[in-house]
Amino acid sequence: MSPLVSVQNVSKNFPGVRALSRVSFELLAGEVHALVGENGAGKSTLMKILAGIYPRDGGEILYNGELVNFASPRAAQMMGIGIIHQELQLMNHLTVAQNIFIGREPPGRLGVFLDEDKLNRQAREILAHMHLKLDPRAIVGGLTVAKQQMVEIAKALSFNSRVLIMDEPTAALNNAEIAELFNIIRELKARGVGIVYISHKMDELKQISDRVTVLRDGHYVATVPTATPLDTIIGMMVGRTLKEDVQHPPLVAPRGEVVLEVRNLNCGPLVRNVGFTLRRGEILGFAGLMGAGRTEVARAIFGADRIESGEIIVRGAAASIKSPADAVALGIGYLSEDRKRFGLAVGMDVASNVVMATLARHLKFKFVLRQQAIRATVESFIRLLSIRTPSATQQVGLLSGGNQQKVVIAKWLARDCDILFFDEPTRGIDVGAKAEIHKLLRSLADQGKAIVMISSELPEILRMSDRIAVMCEGCITGVLEWKGATQERIMQLATQREKAKAA
Amino acid sequence: MLNRTQISTLLVAAALGGAITVSRADETYIPLISKGFQHQFWQAVKLGAEQEAQKLSVKISFEGPETEAMVDKQIDMLSADLAKHPKAIGFAALDSKAAIPLLKKAQAEHIPVIAFDSGVDSDIPLTTCATDNIAAAAVAADKMAELIGDSGEVALVVHDQTSRTGIDRRDGFLNEMKAKHPKVKIVSVQYGGGDQLKSTEITKAILEANPNLKGIFGANEGSIIGVLHGVKESKKKLVVIGYDSGKEQIEAIKSGDEAGAITQNPIGIGACVVESAVKALKGDKLPKKVDTGFYWYDKSNVSDPKIAALLYN
Amino acid sequence: MAEPKTATIEAEERVATTFRAQVFGSIARQKLFAFASLIVLMVFFGFASPAFMQVENLLGILQSTAVNGVLAIASTFVIITAGIDLSVGTLMTFCAVMAGVFLTNWQLPLWTGVLAAIATGAMSGLLSGTFVAKLKLPPFIATLGMMLVNKGLALVVAGDKPIYFSDSENFSTISQGSMIGYVLPSLPVPNSVLILFVLAIAASAVLSRTALGRYTFALGSNEEAVRLSGVNVDRWKITIYVLAGAICGVAGLLIASRLNSAQPALGQGYELEAIAAVVIGGTSLSGGTGTVLGTIIGAFIMSVLTNGLRILSVPQEWQIVVTGVIIILAVYIDILRRRKL
Repeated sequence: MSPLVSVQNVSKNFPGVRALSRVSFELLAGEVHALVGENGAGKSTLMKILAGIYPRDGGEILYNGELVNFASPRAAQMMGIGIIHQELQLMNHLTVAQNIFIGREPPGRLGVFLDEDKLNRQAREILAHMHLKLDPRAIVGGLTVAKQQMVEIAKALSFNSRVLIMDEPTAALNNAEIAELFNIIRELKARGVGIVYISHKMDELKQISDRVTVLRDGHYVATVPTATPLDTIIGMMVGRTLKEDVQHPPLVAPRGEVVLEVRNLNCGPLVRNVGFTLRRGEILGFAGLMGAGRTEVARAIFGADRIESGEIIVRGAAASIKSPADAVALGIGYLSEDRKRFGLAVGMDVASNVVMATLARHLKFKFVLRQQAIRATVESFIRLLSIRTPSATQQVGLLSGGNQQKVVIAKWLARDCDILFFDEPTRGIDVGAKAEIHKLLRSLADQGKAIVMISSELPEILRMSDRIAVMCEGCITGVLEWKGATQERIMQLATQREKAKAA
Repeated sequence: MLNRTQISTLLVAAALGGAITVSRADETYIPLISKGFQHQFWQAVKLGAEQEAQKLSVKISFEGPETEAMVDKQIDMLSADLAKHPKAIGFAALDSKAAIPLLKKAQAEHIPVIAFDSGVDSDIPLTTCATDNIAAAAVAADKMAELIGDSGEVALVVHDQTSRTGIDRRDGFLNEMKAKHPKVKIVSVQYGGGDQLKSTEITKAILEANPNLKGIFGANEGSIIGVLHGVKESKKKLVVIGYDSGKEQIEAIKSGDEAGAITQNPIGIGACVVESAVKALKGDKLPKKVDTGFYWYDKSNVSDPKIAALLYN
Repeated sequence: MAEPKTATIEAEERVATTFRAQVFGSIARQKLFAFASLIVLMVFFGFASPAFMQVENLLGILQSTAVNGVLAIASTFVIITAGIDLSVGTLMTFCAVMAGVFLTNWQLPLWTGVLAAIATGAMSGLLSGTFVAKLKLPPFIATLGMMLVNKGLALVVAGDKPIYFSDSENFSTISQGSMIGYVLPSLPVPNSVLILFVLAIAASAVLSRTALGRYTFALGSNEEAVRLSGVNVDRWKITIYVLAGAICGVAGLLIASRLNSAQPALGQGYELEAIAAVVIGGTSLSGGTGTVLGTIIGAFIMSVLTNGLRILSVPQEWQIVVTGVIIILAVYIDILRRRKL
């Protein structure tokens, strides 16, 4: 079978960086082809070239055996190459149908007005064809991330796409949603659509893909069957063989006294009668499905949302936390799942970000910045957390996801926070950096910090947590010791809707 | 949440309620619509009108748009005042033609219209209380010529090129120079919108461009204060002549930084409007025009009680 | 709005539907709220002064809303794209001046003057739009620049003095005549108001029923997504600014016809009143949402307030304070209402 797409020796330069260096890649019809590599390896760049978003600087792309040159994303789409971006590109204020047909609205009366009924009808057909359960008239901003992703898929398929590129499609999905997505992918595959699947989650690749192509630092490394042992693939990605530590049990440090106790906390529909304790030196995992209320609990304790009722006891004393400033003053830090929006000033440099929460300590006359002191503090954190950055003055937006996360951690450590909430600390972070963040969390706990780690990845929860609190529909349905915890047990608690309702 | 919304709404109502001044229906009510309200000059006109109103036991209101460019806002004001069916109206038109339809309506309802300041270009007003700006600017030109030795370069900083007062003062000055002082050369006429800062910048630019300049005439209060600042910042010494008064200008005249100025009689203008309106209501015959007068004042007579009474701070 | 996985598909659809109902409900409620505020204001002023509710005064309010209303419609388009247009006020003036040049200076027929005003507006919009879309200037800066360019050009072209339309007999009827009054003599609503309403209906249709409207919302919602969907974002953005400019041309005709002259020094400050009307009407400055109906109600709230305070003889200085307070309160109440959603 001749390949559907054949990328040959494609190169791409960005100012100062060689993003792709003579990379080749092949996609067959009806194949799910995984594209892996650490962040910055060039996966997204390669796919953006294929989808006509970036022009290439060298090499050739053959599509159906013919040389093609896409001038714009539209040109690629019209030829049947669709892309679903990691960060969903939807118009939240518009409806599902309006999003699917943006730029291709069917003309109605007089050729001027839009025919909204026809639009909805066509959208409904596409959705039904894909067995997607979505109302074409629903406003996209009100859908779950998983549903929004389906809108993106429907949109891409509405072009009769023969190639579908998916960049980290499961980053924001829970297990059920992932299963649903995989069903859709299998159906597309059966129809002969070639799918490029970019992901960091190795277990998913094992489940869904046929072949795996590995990129490293902008170079092509190899294309191997999915059956290849994971260690080998990861080794190709990082340039060395990593010992996989999925089943590694958590190191249980001697637990200290209770530093945070929450009783009967209520805040909106997703935080209902929540109570738990947190001790020095432990990592308390928060497991649950998307939308179970884990983030909301963290936000309520952190003072980001106004609580309706409940007690928060910090180091034995009842605390009144009305704003994040109150929480920080009590030594509570919250590291958002959305680093770019809530955690970092991506346009500013590493140093500015690290001292963001502690600027008051680095001032002369309460006004003038002490540059020397700031530099010393920042340098010490760069060493302590081994943040890989050319200098303290590097713009944070240019760092990899893992290093960005470390900058956020440094910010809160600088603030002397010893109760830390990590919300999805490794989302969008590549395998090598993930292990490093995990090591860092453990060493923070060993130093006596108390850590709450919210994660949607069960292996991560099982590997990292000393105890695991499981949430469902705003309630904590159970707290497990790591010894007795299994994926099955957690899932059982995470879906205990009856118990949640009774609470 | 709804409570907060309701509370907010109530607060608005309360705020509005507090601001209302209750008026008695049987009072004689005369609204005055001027060309502005923020300048000291207009405040002095308002003061004169209020004093006269108290004397004659009538009720007045005094309004004007924020800038003299806002012709349509002034029309809206006139329209709102007419809706109150006043006994008479005082009006200083920013643009006479734009106001004609409403003035005709006033005429139809037998509401006497008294024009003031630059007046209204129409037969409808029974009289106009104003300064003869052309004659006043001519006096300023004569004084300027006298002080610079009847020859040399002179510049003008005028508030604007569209209003009656701007045109009259500029042309009054220019024509007098042309007719009587041919050796005085006008090198620049610039417009600063009556804005002190803009007029300052304009003055500095004029001084930069014309090193031999002997004198500058500022055509209203905002303009002359700008001229004074500009001259001071340029560290030059020349003859400065102004218009109207105001604390800063009076002090400049006392200190000698400004040679002198023309003052109108703003308090007199205000009083004249109210007095004429009341006369009209009694059925008295009014002259077509009331010249409320102008005076030249300088260091020698600035403290003279007769002059001082016309000046405002 | 996240749903646990165990929820049935039907339940999820129901959630989507409820959300939609909430969104549409909120839009309806928002208009209702703005409309209710308007009614409350009018009832209040009506009780406070018998002069307020007179037909003559109400007609005066309608007429004084026409120009700001039209400018606010122009601003609505740009603001929904998450942009801002500071040039609408002085552009209106420049358009009026161009009409004057055609009709008075060159003595051309009436329709050429109308065309000249609208074409001038469209040209200026084309420039603003090009600066924003192609040169990537922030809309604030691009239109700030155009505000000054238009202001200066108006003064230059008019020769620093008003241009009077005394020679073109019918020009004043554009604004001051009354087609409605011709049919219903007891209700002499000026044409300027009729034009405002016709324009509002047309603009509303464009926003909700045409591709241009769809892209206006889409650009304000997520410009990058529109670009990646293969839409020629630049061209549509420029089109929106051109349309806004052309609408300013209509405003120019209305004000010139009302004053029977083109006043070249007028215009600055009008853009802020227009933005205030848009915002009071519930359009978000961050883009993606908004309605023309809301904007029109916002414009009426502004002029009812100004007129009412005048009728009550509230001292002018306090009128300004109250207007400022009302703008802040109106937007605050809108935010409270959104938070409830």
